[in-house]
Amino acid sequence: MKCRDAYLHICDNLDEQIDSPRCREIKAHLKACPDCKAFLTTLKKTVGLYRTMPQPKLPRGAHSRLVHALATEEKKGGARSGPNSKS
Amino acid sequence: MHHIGKGGRPDKESDEALIARIRAGDKKAFTALIKRYEETVYRFSFKVCRDPVKAEEAMQDTFINVFRKLDSFDGKSKFSTWLYTIVTNNCRMKHRQTRARAAEESLDELMDPSFTREGKMAHEIAQWDDTPEDRMMGKELREVLERSIARLPEDYRLVFVLRDIDGNSTEETASIMGITEEATKSRLRRARAFLREQLDPYMAGDGRRRA
Repeated sequence: MKCRDAYLHICDNLDEQIDSPRCREIKAHLKACPDCKAFLTTLKKTVGLYRTMPQPKLPRGAHSRLVHALATEEKKGGARSGPNSKS
Repeated sequence: MHHIGKGGRPDKESDEALIARIRAGDKKAFTALIKRYEETVYRFSFKVCRDPVKAEEAMQDTFINVFRKLDSFDGKSKFSTWLYTIVTNNCRMKHRQTRARAAEESLDELMDPSFTREGKMAHEIAQWDDTPEDRMMGKELREVLERSIARLPEDYRLVFVLRDIDGNSTEETASIMGITEEATKSRLRRARAFLREQLDPYMAGDGRRRA
């Protein structure tokens, strides 16, 4: 098992519990190779950091502007009952 | 059922039922569809466009497209996948219209990390000091994360956000992007490695300690 093979596989299976013969080989490689072990750990941390980044919030007034844009679109085309349609 | 992002409400009326009501002329159903997805569409657009004005424009364009094209949605994929396809295309269009590429790596194709001829890592890999859970998401770290993802070429950023942040499957991401699953995996692998590399100087600190 080479680092390159481990890299290709661990990246495809970052979130999976893996237990095939191939994966056992990779686990053995990770145990013996500090660089690959550090690579996997820091790769997981990278993804984790982006997942925990604060989420942007819908700007104030964005919903109203969207409804207005759709109402304008509806007047142009009239193909569908939009959010401003009168029942 | 997987709803798009966290905005979905699996405990409420399904997307399919909502769409059926829209098609039947129910005036309130389209508003309900907007309320269900506007936050998620905006967030996705923001994460890709990295700009609040462009993100809002992409969100508006996306719902106008949904308004125009809902009759062509055949239900073979999940509604969320169809919606992601539309917003992805709108983000791509916005990207082409602007100079956003200036911040990105000039390489169209990111490369995998370097290996020796024997297939070993070409460089020593340092462990990072803290786990994400240990470290407060401070302003400095947020800026590093922002700068790094802004440098990622857009097609790679899209795959990374679709798959790793918003939680679409590889199959769904490939369908949304219009590429093969193999190409999706390759882009994801390189995007992750690129971001890891970008964060490394900040996260490893001066000590650059080994595992």
